[in-house]
Amino acid sequence: MASNNIKAVKKEERIIGGRKVSVAVVMPRDTPAPIPSALAGLVKGMLLTLGYFVRPWKIVTRQYPENRKTLKFPQRYRSMLHLIFEEDGYHRCMACRICEKACPNRSIKILSQKNQISGKIELDRYIWRMDTCVFCNACVQSCPFDALEMGHEFENAVYDRRLLIFTLNRYAGPSVLRKVESMEARSKMMEPRDRYGGPVPLNGTSMPIVQPLMVKPAQKPGDIG
Amino acid sequence: MVTVAQRAAGVLESNIWLSLWFMLIALVAIGALVAFLGMGLIYAERKIAARFQCRLGPMRVGPHGILQTVADTIKLLLKEDIIPAQSDKIMHLVAPFLALSATVLILAVVPYSPILQVANPNIGILYVTAISGLSVMGILLGGWSSNNKWSLIGGMRSAAQVISYEISATLAVLVVVMFSGTLSLAGIVQSQQAGWWLWRMHGVGIISFLIFIIASTAEINRTPFDIAEGESELTGGFHTEYSGLRFAFFFLAEFINMFVASAIAVTIFLGGWMPFYIGGFEHFNRVMTIIPPSMWFAGKTAFLIFIFMWFRWTFPRLRVDQLMRLEWKILMPIGFINLIAAAVIVIQKFYFFPE
Repeated sequence: MASNNIKAVKKEERIIGGRKVSVAVVMPRDTPAPIPSALAGLVKGMLLTLGYFVRPWKIVTRQYPENRKTLKFPQRYRSMLHLIFEEDGYHRCMACRICEKACPNRSIKILSQKNQISGKIELDRYIWRMDTCVFCNACVQSCPFDALEMGHEFENAVYDRRLLIFTLNRYAGPSVLRKVESMEARSKMMEPRDRYGGPVPLNGTSMPIVQPLMVKPAQKPGDIG
Repeated sequence: MVTVAQRAAGVLESNIWLSLWFMLIALVAIGALVAFLGMGLIYAERKIAARFQCRLGPMRVGPHGILQTVADTIKLLLKEDIIPAQSDKIMHLVAPFLALSATVLILAVVPYSPILQVANPNIGILYVTAISGLSVMGILLGGWSSNNKWSLIGGMRSAAQVISYEISATLAVLVVVMFSGTLSLAGIVQSQQAGWWLWRMHGVGIISFLIFIIASTAEINRTPFDIAEGESELTGGFHTEYSGLRFAFFFLAEFINMFVASAIAVTIFLGGWMPFYIGGFEHFNRVMTIIPPSMWFAGKTAFLIFIFMWFRWTFPRLRVDQLMRLEWKILMPIGFINLIAAAVIVIQKFYFFPE
């Protein structure tokens, strides 16, 4: 052991949790270190801090509003939930509701509909409540179709919490995974969906762009949609 | 060289108003220096601390935060001045000014350049050591009069520390006094014409310089030795109960103290305003002469202040017993041995560049 502050390292066997475990017992120095090594330690510390002083690129502070254009996020930073849209604008959600079940606090509500033409269950609205979301990533990990991702947008503050309830899909209709004969048939099955238009709890009031929630008597209170 | 005090004394008999005018100029100049140093050093401290810790420091008020200190000063001026109940009110009010005045008094005798010195007493070094001992009075009074145990402990610690470390500082200064043969600060600077005492004294100089730097770090209560403040132990030490302007005065005194310690170290060890010469390098020496003496003084002082800040942001605080052990068992014996060695060298005329 090269460190100044360690007197000795003793290797022994101890019984931890009913098992014999070999451990290294580190004994700290109980007498002051010899003066030359103590001085060397002081010089070492000073060189370390000087090293940071002379290397300005080591500065970790970022000037936030100024560096907005060049902000870089860690790969795993989690913020806004997205449906992943393909290049041609189709998502992969099959409305299987696995994410809805995985969500720990019911921030996700999936409204599905039966397609009038094909007769199959399809996504109507993917409603995500950002105000209750804990960004735990469980929906993304549970999705069997890899239809979801957590994006990097972070300036999400709004003045009305009703604006934190999003409809993630841009259209209702068959997903890109569903086999449809032709593009024309697919486009016939699709309807546009806006970002805020879904049923949300508004306590009876309404905003121009947000429709009030129609609570059905059979539903539990606090449930979305 | 003629100091401001000598000019004032010279015209005293012929024109008393001119004499008063000179004194006023000196007072205003010292006051301006204190204000400028307070602002500049606090800003520099914050920026340098930030760089040592991979931060940016103040960046928002003015370009690169240069107006941050101005904003802080205005804030401190406008804050309520709280006097704790059942405290010794007069002492509580006087203490910050005592702490500041002790340091400002030393600024008057520092030779900033050959023509810039307020007063040049022929016992300058003695004056400096005596007055710097006075600064502990402000801290002790502030701690005692606050009616707060933390403050009292901080003040007592500070008193014990400053009194102890003054011995080492004085021993280190004595070595230079022996070599230069004068107690006047201007005289000591003049005696370094042939070379700075730091390396002209045959190794004795380096040891006494190191002792002086360590001892003055302790005397000005800066971080490796800041047990008087000890945020983690005593919340704020002697200035726990101070707020507003009076706290600002303590704060200012700390930074002016740092400048004074650096200035004295520069004056007696690093040649004061003398340029840096290397024997034999004619052209190099001529270039060095172009830089004005006041710039030399400012540069050297700034370097030492940087070293003090470097200490502060590198080393952890010492425990009280470790602090006392460092002084009484390590620094003081080394200082005495150093003094004896220096005396032998002086008697044997065994040093570089004898005059």
